[in-house]
Amino acid sequence: MGKICLVLCLLFAIVGLTAYKGMEQVVPMGDYIFNYPANFGNRINVPADNPTTQQGVYLGRLLFYEPKLSATNTVSCGNCHQQSKAFTDGRALSIGVNNGLATRNSMSLANLLWARKFFWDGRAASLEDQVLFPLTNPHEMGQSIQASVQKLSNTLLYPGLFKIVYGDSTITGDRIAKAIAQFERTLISANSRYDQYLRNAYKPTDDELKGMELFNHGPDPEKGIRGANCTHCHGGPKTYLELFHNNGLDSISKDEGMAAFTGLVTDRGRFKVPTLRNIALTAPYMHDGRFKTLDEVVAHYSEHIKQSVSLSAFLQGESNEMGGHSLKLLPKEKKQLIAFLNMLTDSTFITDKRFGNPHQSTKN
Amino acid sequence: MKKYAIVLLLLIAGLTTNAQTATKEAVIKVTGEVTTPLTIGNAEFQQYKQTTVTRKDKDGKDHTYSGVLVSDILAKAGVTLGPELRGENLAKYLLVEASDGYQVLFALAELDKGFTDRTIILADKVDGQPLVPADGPFRIIIQDEKKPARCIKQVTAMKVMFAK
Ligand code: HEC
Ligand code: HEC
Repeated sequence: MGKICLVLCLLFAIVGLTAYKGMEQVVPMGDYIFNYPANFGNRINVPADNPTTQQGVYLGRLLFYEPKLSATNTVSCGNCHQQSKAFTDGRALSIGVNNGLATRNSMSLANLLWARKFFWDGRAASLEDQVLFPLTNPHEMGQSIQASVQKLSNTLLYPGLFKIVYGDSTITGDRIAKAIAQFERTLISANSRYDQYLRNAYKPTDDELKGMELFNHGPDPEKGIRGANCTHCHGGPKTYLELFHNNGLDSISKDEGMAAFTGLVTDRGRFKVPTLRNIALTAPYMHDGRFKTLDEVVAHYSEHIKQSVSLSAFLQGESNEMGGHSLKLLPKEKKQLIAFLNMLTDSTFITDKRFGNPHQSTKN
Repeated sequence: MKKYAIVLLLLIAGLTTNAQTATKEAVIKVTGEVTTPLTIGNAEFQQYKQTTVTRKDKDGKDHTYSGVLVSDILAKAGVTLGPELRGENLAKYLLVEASDGYQVLFALAELDKGFTDRTIILADKVDGQPLVPADGPFRIIIQDEKKPARCIKQVTAMKVMFAK
C-alpha cells in the first residue's frame, strides 16, 4: 500500500513539474519581422498604435484558440477558422455557441496583413475593430467583453502574459483585440505552387499553364482569344485585390451586401472579392456557401451570370462567344482553369506549427 | 368598405415599393489637402461649366463624354493649382477611389492647364445619355490615354495628398 502511494506521489510530482515547465515556457520577445516575397508589395496595414511584437503574437495566438472567450467555453476563433482548411470551417454557414448559425460563410484568414476592409461587406476598417464582432455576436462566441475580461483575469496564465506584452497585467477588450490582430497579421501564405512558379522554382503542367492563361486573359472572340478574365478581380501575386463586386449570383440578392450600409441600389449583393489562395481547401464557396465544388463555381461564371443593376461591369458582355452574356468555356477549359486554382494550395501554410493551436501543449 | 380596403392595399403596396427603391444618391467626397471639402451630387455637378471629351471605347469607336473638368472641381475645393502649383506642391497627387475600392492616382501637374492641354474630366454622360449604373453616375475620362485603366468608373471619392 505504502509503495503504491509512493509511486503515485512520484507520478504526480513528475506531472506537476512538466505542467509547471509548460506554463513557464519562454515567451519570445522583440519586434516581429514579417517575411514575404517582394512581389507581394509593401502596402501592408499595421496601425501605428498596435505594432507587431513577438510577445504580442504569442499572446494573440493563445487568445485566438481560447474557448473561454465564448459564453459556453466551447467556441474559439479556431472553431470557424481551422488551420487545416486555410482557416475556414467547411460549412455553408458557420456554427457558433448553442449551435446558432452565423449569417454568412466563414472567411479564410490568409494575408490579412495587406487587407484594409474586412468581412464580406467590408464593414470593418481594421482587424482590431473586426475582432469585437465575433466575440460578442450571439451567433458566434456570444459573450460580453466584460465577461471575457473577467474570465481571463481569473486564470493563472493570462494576467502575467498581459503584463509581459502591455507592461501591466490589466486585461481589457482593447488589449485582447490588439493581440489577436497581431497574431492574424502573421498568417502569411506565400508558398503555393503558383508562388513557386513565380519565383522560378516550379514548372507547371500543360493544364496548369493553360488554366493560368485563361485566368489572366479577357475573352476576345473577334480576335480568337479565349479567356476567363478572373484576374480582373482576383489577380496579382497574392490572388487578392481589395475589391467589392456583385458577381452575378442572383438577380435580386437576398443578402443586401454593401447596400445595407451605403443605401445605394448599385451596391446590392456586392461583396468582397475573396482571396483565391488555398481555394481548393475552403469549400463551400461564396458568402452563403451555395457552391460545394470548384466545378460549380466555374460553371457559374461560364453559364449562369445573373443580370442586375448592380452586376459588375467586368462581368457584362464578357464572353468567348460573340454577343454572349457569360463566359461560355469549353469543358476542357474548365478543367484547365481548375487545375490552375489547385496550384494556389499552400500546404506549408496549413501545417505551419506557428499557426496551430498552442493550448494542446500548454493546458491552462 | 371593400373599396377602402383596396385603396389601403394600394397605398401600402405603394409605400413598400417606395421603401425598396428609396435609396441614397451617389455622391463624391473631395477631401485631403483642400481648403473647402466638397460633397458633389448631381445638383452640385450641374453647376460647374460642362465640357466634352471624345475617346475610343472597348468597341473601337469614338464616344463623346460630357462632364466637368477635374481641375475645376479641385479649384473650387481650394487645391493648389495654377500659379500655386510649384515648389513642394508639385509633390501632391490626386487619389481617385471607386465604389468597388479600386484606386488610381494623378499627379496634380497632370490635371493643370499650365502643364498640359490634355483634358481630364469627371463625366456623367456618354453620347448624351447618362452613364449606365455599372459605370456611373460619375466616371473619369482621360483624353488620348491609350489604356482605359485610369478611366475609373463609379467614382466615390477624390483625395488630394502629399507624397510622403
Ligand atoms: C461562429 C463562427 C465564427 C467564429 C467563432 C469566428 N468567426 Fe471570424 N468569421 C466568421 C464568418 C461567418 C465571417 C464572415 C462574416 C461576415 O462577413 O459578416 C468571418 C469573418 C472573419 C474575418 C474577416 C476576414 C476578411 O477577409 O475580411 C476575420 C479577420 C475573422 N473572421 C476573424 C475571427 C476572429 C479573430 C475570431 C475570434 C475572436 C473569429 N473570427 C471567430 C465566422 C466565425
Ligand atoms: C467582377 C469581379 C469578379 C470576377 C471577374 C471573378 N470573380 Fe470570383 N468572386 C467575385 C466576388 C465578388 C466573389 C464573392 C461573391 C459572393 O460571395 O457573393 C467571388 C467569389 C469567387 C470564388 C469563391 C471564393 C470563396 O472563398 O468562397 C471563387 C472560387 C471564384 N470567385 C473564382 C473565380 C474565377 C475562377 C473567375 C474567372 C472565371 C472569377 N472568380 C471571376 C468577383 C469576381
